Amino acid sequence: MSTATGRSGATGRSGAADGSERAGGRVVELPATPGLAGLYGRGVVGSARAAVARRRSVRPGSLPGTRLRVSGVRPDPTHLSDYQHLLHEGASDVLPAGFVHVLAFPVATALMVRPDFPLPLLGMVHVANRVEQRRGLRLGEALDVEVHVRDLAAHRAGVTVDVVAEVSVDGERAWEGVSTYLVKGVRLDGAERPDGARDSFEVPVPTGQWRLGADAGRRYAAVSGDRNPIHTTTLAAKAFGFPRTIAHGMYTAARAIAAVGPARGEAYRWDVEFAKPVLLPSTVAVRVAPDDDGFGYAVWNPRKGTPHLTGSVTPLR
Amino acid sequence: MAAPRTSPTPAPAPATTGTGAGAGTTRRAVVVGGNRIPFARAGGPYAHSSNQDMLTAALEGLVARFGLAGERIGEVAAGAVLKHSRDFNLTRESVLGSALSPETPAYDVQMACATGMETVLGLSNKIRLGQIDSAVAGGVDSTSDAPIAVSEPLRRVLLDLSRAKTPQQRLKAVSRLRPAHLAPSAPTTGEPRTGLSMGEHQALTTAAWGITREAQDELAVASHHRLAAAYERGFFDDLMTPYRRLTRDANLRADTSVEKLAGLKPVFGKSLDAPATMTAGNSTPLSDGASTVLLASDEWAAERGLPVLATIVDAEPGAVDFVHGRDGLLMAGAHAVPRLLARNGLTLQDFDLYEIHEAFAGTVLCNLAAWEDEDFCRERLGLDKALGSVDRSRLNVTGSSLAAGHPFAATGGRIVATLAKLLAEKGPGSRGLISVCAAGGQAITMIMEAA
Repeated sequence: MSTATGRSGATGRSGAADGSERAGGRVVELPATPGLAGLYGRGVVGSARAAVARRRSVRPGSLPGTRLRVSGVRPDPTHLSDYQHLLHEGASDVLPAGFVHVLAFPVATALMVRPDFPLPLLGMVHVANRVEQRRGLRLGEALDVEVHVRDLAAHRAGVTVDVVAEVSVDGERAWEGVSTYLVKGVRLDGAERPDGARDSFEVPVPTGQWRLGADAGRRYAAVSGDRNPIHTTTLAAKAFGFPRTIAHGMYTAARAIAAVGPARGEAYRWDVEFAKPVLLPSTVAVRVAPDDDGFGYAVWNPRKGTPHLTGSVTPLR
Repeated sequence: MAAPRTSPTPAPAPATTGTGAGAGTTRRAVVVGGNRIPFARAGGPYAHSSNQDMLTAALEGLVARFGLAGERIGEVAAGAVLKHSRDFNLTRESVLGSALSPETPAYDVQMACATGMETVLGLSNKIRLGQIDSAVAGGVDSTSDAPIAVSEPLRRVLLDLSRAKTPQQRLKAVSRLRPAHLAPSAPTTGEPRTGLSMGEHQALTTAAWGITREAQDELAVASHHRLAAAYERGFFDDLMTPYRRLTRDANLRADTSVEKLAGLKPVFGKSLDAPATMTAGNSTPLSDGASTVLLASDEWAAERGLPVLATIVDAEPGAVDFVHGRDGLLMAGAHAVPRLLARNGLTLQDFDLYEIHEAFAGTVLCNLAAWEDEDFCRERLGLDKALGSVDRSRLNVTGSSLAAGHPFAATGGRIVATLAKLLAEKGPGSRGLISVCAAGGQAITMIMEAA
């Protein structure tokens, strides 16, 4: 399987100008979706630089206002099929919200490896994700992807940042994703750390289970392009304090909304909070069931009763 | 053993019940008889028999019993749940391998464990409509001779390889192969959308309805004792043809007892909060076997001097949303039966006999509990009150799948032929209800009457 690099590419506006002004920051137009392999290399360099600098704190307001933009992204049908099959999604030409996240992810990564981004890429922990899918995006539509970062916030274990990706067609916003990442051990200057109390988790009645093989990380890496080594090699996972590789959070969250099925409609809000990562291989218990506004879901360790993720899918009327 | 009556009622005879089932405008479809081979446990005497072998054996026994050699039957329908892709015309191939006229058409059906019921339902409707005058319904399954597939990555490499035109393309395809891809993938009883096995699903439902271990074991013991008693009185003599030296269902344990079953360790539901109650003793074993049922119009049977045992009065399929936990996987019958009753102006107590497929003892008990539950019947079934209870002395009176075994697609044919003969024994006016649950949250329910 090829990497994301060669797949869902952009039509590419060659020689795009670097620096049109926009409310909130400079827009940098990339000619095409960047390759993630190279970005990780730069991420390693940047993270090493951050380590050498022993940066233990960041200033509020130190996030760059830059917006990265790739225009005219046209997803590849084979890429979509591979994604749908792996995530147990339906087979329609409507792009699953998690697939759009995959399309935007390289652009977000490109923003975070730029020298003006104050936090190290490696070791970032995905703690929450919110997506608003305002209308169904269809295969064949040209997608304009624009990414920026915002909201540095103190967290009990460090500092969090929101990476915002917006996908528009013909100037109309169709999808917006906000990924919250935690950088452990870094303080936000002048901010108190919130208390460590987490929401308690009551183990629900399962509706299913997932048997996630040792290769679950590598298989999602192949369709998402997210080859962060903590998902693909045990050695790297150990370097970051995990006994084994861990599943991608977005893989588990995307499988949960796949389990909701067609009842979610084409326009929906999709929220997830990640708790403990899923170590691979493992079998996790799952509940996906209707609740007041839509569907709620939870994934947990059936032996310990500890949550891996919880979230909801709320159809937008 | 009551001899089946050979004088059919004059045709066209409207069904005595069934206002919504087209009664009066269509003719009756009757069960002439049935034939199956004894059911074996997986890896037993049929371990080297294919689905086609077993289906043909059951069909040949039916042909011999009713003198159908050379006969052009209107249509034959059967199926298998675990089916090799090469068996796309399994039933037609079995017909060609039988003494039936080679001009007998046939088609395959697949509806998980309700496959056999669906063949009876579809064919009986064709008879009622006058499209065909005779039919053979059936089903077969082998868990011993199950299809094994290559892994998904290997399959894709092989397909791409077959499409490759240049050496470079071939090399590129082959280069994707990894040693792990060579591991074969065998079929499982897991539900594709939930990842839970059928047993784990039933364990959730069993816990939700609070069914006890004792109640399940008692039902299992009754199944064995009743099946053994039926064999003793020769009930199966004209419903079965020995095969591969097997003369009785291999799973039958005539001497089992509640005490013996109480010693078995639970196998499903072990990670739930509720105590685990499901054992190998109160769950059906993986089985091999085949069954057939001869259906006809009254005229067709009369012309050949064949008996008519029972009428297929009406049937109702059902399905539930088990994926999101709204209902248990095997609870579709609880929803389908009240619809069937309403259409036919009957109550749950208007039956002399009940056949509820024992996928697990818990399945039967959960369905019964649902019909007895006021809240469930009001809120989920939209009824005024509970459907009420089933007289247990009328339920699965000659045993069911816990004792006989459950070769998935063969179970419907076993039940329909058994109930038809039981109704014929009871005499005119007697009425029976069938409910067979199936994977995918489905079920088929059916009303039969003595012909």
